[in-house]
Amino acid sequence: MSTPPTPSTPPTPSTPPTPSALPSPVESFTSPHKVDYTFVAGTGRSAFLRGLQERRLLARRCPTCERVYLPAPEFCSRCLAELSEPFELAGTGVVKTFCVVNFPFPGQMIDPPYLVAYIQVDGADTTLMHLVRDVEPADVHIGLRVEPVWCAEEDLDTSMNSIRYYRPVAGGSDA
Amino acid sequence: MTAEPPDASLTAPYSIEFPYNRTVGEKIGTFLGGLRDGELYGVRTASGAVLCPALEFDPATAAPTGELVRLTPSGTVTHWTWVPTRPGDDIEADHFAWALIAIDGTEGALFHAVDTGGDPSRLTAGLRVAPRWRADRVGSIRDIVCFEPVEA
Ligand SMILES: [Zn+2]
Repeated sequence: MSTPPTPSTPPTPSTPPTPSALPSPVESFTSPHKVDYTFVAGTGRSAFLRGLQERRLLARRCPTCERVYLPAPEFCSRCLAELSEPFELAGTGVVKTFCVVNFPFPGQMIDPPYLVAYIQVDGADTTLMHLVRDVEPADVHIGLRVEPVWCAEEDLDTSMNSIRYYRPVAGGSDA
Repeated sequence: MTAEPPDASLTAPYSIEFPYNRTVGEKIGTFLGGLRDGELYGVRTASGAVLCPALEFDPATAAPTGELVRLTPSGTVTHWTWVPTRPGDDIEADHFAWALIAIDGTEGALFHAVDTGGDPSRLTAGLRVAPRWRADRVGSIRDIVCFEPVEA
């Protein structure tokens, strides 16, 4: 146990007179929030991430409710049943909803405007979030058919970045 | 890549940061300006009570609060919880308490650290305390390093 520190300002014994001038007010302050952490993918999503490194989209099906997850956890979030062995989907899909990002913010990796979409890959019951490029934002709509544009071989990784972005399927009709 | 079982879980380091900047109101702004000047201020409500820390609105009536009142910088611990360690903390003692401190002549309580030199047995509800001010003050609640016991 250490010695109690000495007060740098002794307490005043009586109420001090209120000064005529108040302190000039502070208008704002920074309130930064930072968290460093380790993301643990889990064995289910790790299988999906390892598939991305081989340009494969690996899904898993619930044996009880038939729901197909992409990416897939280990267990169905509805039934808690263990999901099937991974199987590969072709990769094409459909835009379920999207957002055009026009606003710059600190740490932004891409120059706005750009378009982020929820994409339901054909054969899956869940959606992936990814960029949609090679198209004017005004031409993107819910139902647009899209396909993945993969990284060069040397850039493939156990990461969503192995898909650079999605783009409209050439000559594709809407879902 | 390290040698790992083919079905082992992947992990990755992540860092998430929100560089918030928040505005404060007129009353809280003056309260913070007071801290920069090494003074503690409260704010008067319509009922005549003084609130410390200062608030923009009276929590009892939702009416805007009134004049700022300079306070004697001393108070009484009402509640506290002991913190065994906190790495990187400014308080030189290894151990301190978080406490609610009723500043003399005010209603409400100021939430701050209390340093009893690492001795939890000195902390009691009713302990008289005063702020230890930082030398370089900027207009922040951190301008008070902590509160510390004062002899009655
Ligand atoms: Zn299920």
